[in-house]
Amino acid sequence: MKNQYEPIQTSIVKIEQLSPINKLFTLKIKNKQTRNTFKFRHGQFFILSFPGFGEAPFGFCSSPTIRETFQVSIDQRGSLTSKLFKSKVGDNIGIRGPYGNGFDQKKIKNRNLVLVAGGCGLSPLRTIIQDANLHPEKFQNIQVFYGCRNPELLVFKDDYNQWNKNIEMNLTVDAPDKNWKGDIGVVTNLLTPEKISSDSVAILVGPPIMYKFVIQKLIELGLNEKDIYVSLERRMHCGIGVCQHCVLVGGKYVCTDGPLFSYAEIKDTPEGI
Amino acid sequence: MNDKQLQGLVSYLIKNKHTVYSHTDDDGKINIKKIDTGKDFTLCPKRPLYSFKKFFLPSCQKMMVFSDNETTLNRSKNEKIVLLGLHFYDLKAFTLINQVYKKDPHFQKKLRNAIIIGQSPIPAEMEDYQKFEKEVLEHLKFDIFLEAKSHGKQESFRIFTGSEDGQRLLDDFGYRDYENIEYKGPVPKKGLGPINSMLIEKIRKSRGSEIWKELDKKCTNCGKCTIVCPTCFCFKIKDEIKKDEILRSREWDSCFYDEFSEIAGGHKFLNTTEKRIYNYYDHKFVRIPEEYTMPGCVSCGRCTEVCPAGIDIREVLRRIIEEN
Repeated sequence: MKNQYEPIQTSIVKIEQLSPINKLFTLKIKNKQTRNTFKFRHGQFFILSFPGFGEAPFGFCSSPTIRETFQVSIDQRGSLTSKLFKSKVGDNIGIRGPYGNGFDQKKIKNRNLVLVAGGCGLSPLRTIIQDANLHPEKFQNIQVFYGCRNPELLVFKDDYNQWNKNIEMNLTVDAPDKNWKGDIGVVTNLLTPEKISSDSVAILVGPPIMYKFVIQKLIELGLNEKDIYVSLERRMHCGIGVCQHCVLVGGKYVCTDGPLFSYAEIKDTPEGI
Repeated sequence: MNDKQLQGLVSYLIKNKHTVYSHTDDDGKINIKKIDTGKDFTLCPKRPLYSFKKFFLPSCQKMMVFSDNETTLNRSKNEKIVLLGLHFYDLKAFTLINQVYKKDPHFQKKLRNAIIIGQSPIPAEMEDYQKFEKEVLEHLKFDIFLEAKSHGKQESFRIFTGSEDGQRLLDDFGYRDYENIEYKGPVPKKGLGPINSMLIEKIRKSRGSEIWKELDKKCTNCGKCTIVCPTCFCFKIKDEIKKDEILRSREWDSCFYDEFSEIAGGHKFLNTTEKRIYNYYDHKFVRIPEEYTMPGCVSCGRCTEVCPAGIDIREVLRRIIEEN
């Protein structure tokens, strides 16, 4: 019987600083056979661990079509991520997964896709953005609306010009610096009837406070509750629906039923958003 | 099977290198202990405060050890154990946890190495005792089941087997007067049944109602109920830095503890007692029944016995049913 908690060994092949508090880690699964069979879908996550510092869930942030390595972009927030920030290329990192329901691409077939991100919430959405850049034929129109506290904290800033060729990037910050040319204010301000067609599918990744306002706005713009997806963050220990830490009271587990939920699915869940 | 024969069976198991754990009566207090002879155990209707849960889900399950870039998975010992005297509700709890931990290598290995002997309460001391019908037993996981029969002062037992292991054991011991009951899975044909289905609806309906606000003031978040509950199975995964190695283990956790739902940055989703105690009932009476088609509470009453605030689960359920 396979031990579900045994980490898959990866090694860090590249570390890039994306913002003062965020680093992008490129990981490669060491065992060739495992690497060849390891597959994930948009919206799935994995559990990363460092011996002595425990485990925590993170979303993939590279295109699932890139199979040799995968990437994760991490904000430094606690003891595990601080330990990761001190690691170097060549160090070993344990992972397990992939976990979660993932995003069914059929749902966005021939539909306009609206991606709304706050802070480091852009990172998990980058699986779609990168995939769309590598395989534009797989997607219809993609619009990204990305808000951050200040320009310094934007992640993947060097890629926006490249991305703009295939997708529409809309940026806003709360506190601009003197070089800032984009919008100023909350991301909700960017969501206007001129920009967003009511038959779009939206995926939101960011802090819960952003969800409240963005969902309200998207519903006003005529989007169906079933077409608004949010990614929920919860404490997780197992990833397989047993340990109870990620429960949404009422019957769902973020690790197995999520982390992406349509607003229609969770709007009646207390504390859901 | 009479008293003497049962003692003979237990002695036979001990002689054959099984470690036997059973109820012992220590001045009226029922404990579960390792027994050394066929005479040390007691079969009685009173249950121990702590269930047999720890034999399959230890409070701390060592999972793996890290040292110098090496990960060594912990393989549980191949110790043959016998758990003697599980009451009906502890068998029910065990059957449920076996479903939840179906794919867990630690749990399943312990199960493979264990002989589970259940017992019915002794009729003379249980007035509303009803005979264990086949329909009940065929949905419980056990190897041998002792159904008590009264013959004057002499105790005797009707013997059922619930697995090949159980049959083989009795055959080898030389006792053949048993009836085999084939395990038909944890869920009876009728499914959850009307009472448990009604409870799902009532608990859902009761969310935010007065009773939870009252419990919010009463409950101290001590988590004792989750420790003694034979069906509570929440856990956390914990790393511990030792001198030469790092140990990763799975430990019992309680949904009443403050950090249970805390995420990076400090936000807690279960941040009030009301939310925590509702979540506890939601798990037992809504989520487990919906996920496993079995009730998450086996009516053992341990949580009520141990609660320092005097919360009685029967009283809470009675009010939820009446008020919703």
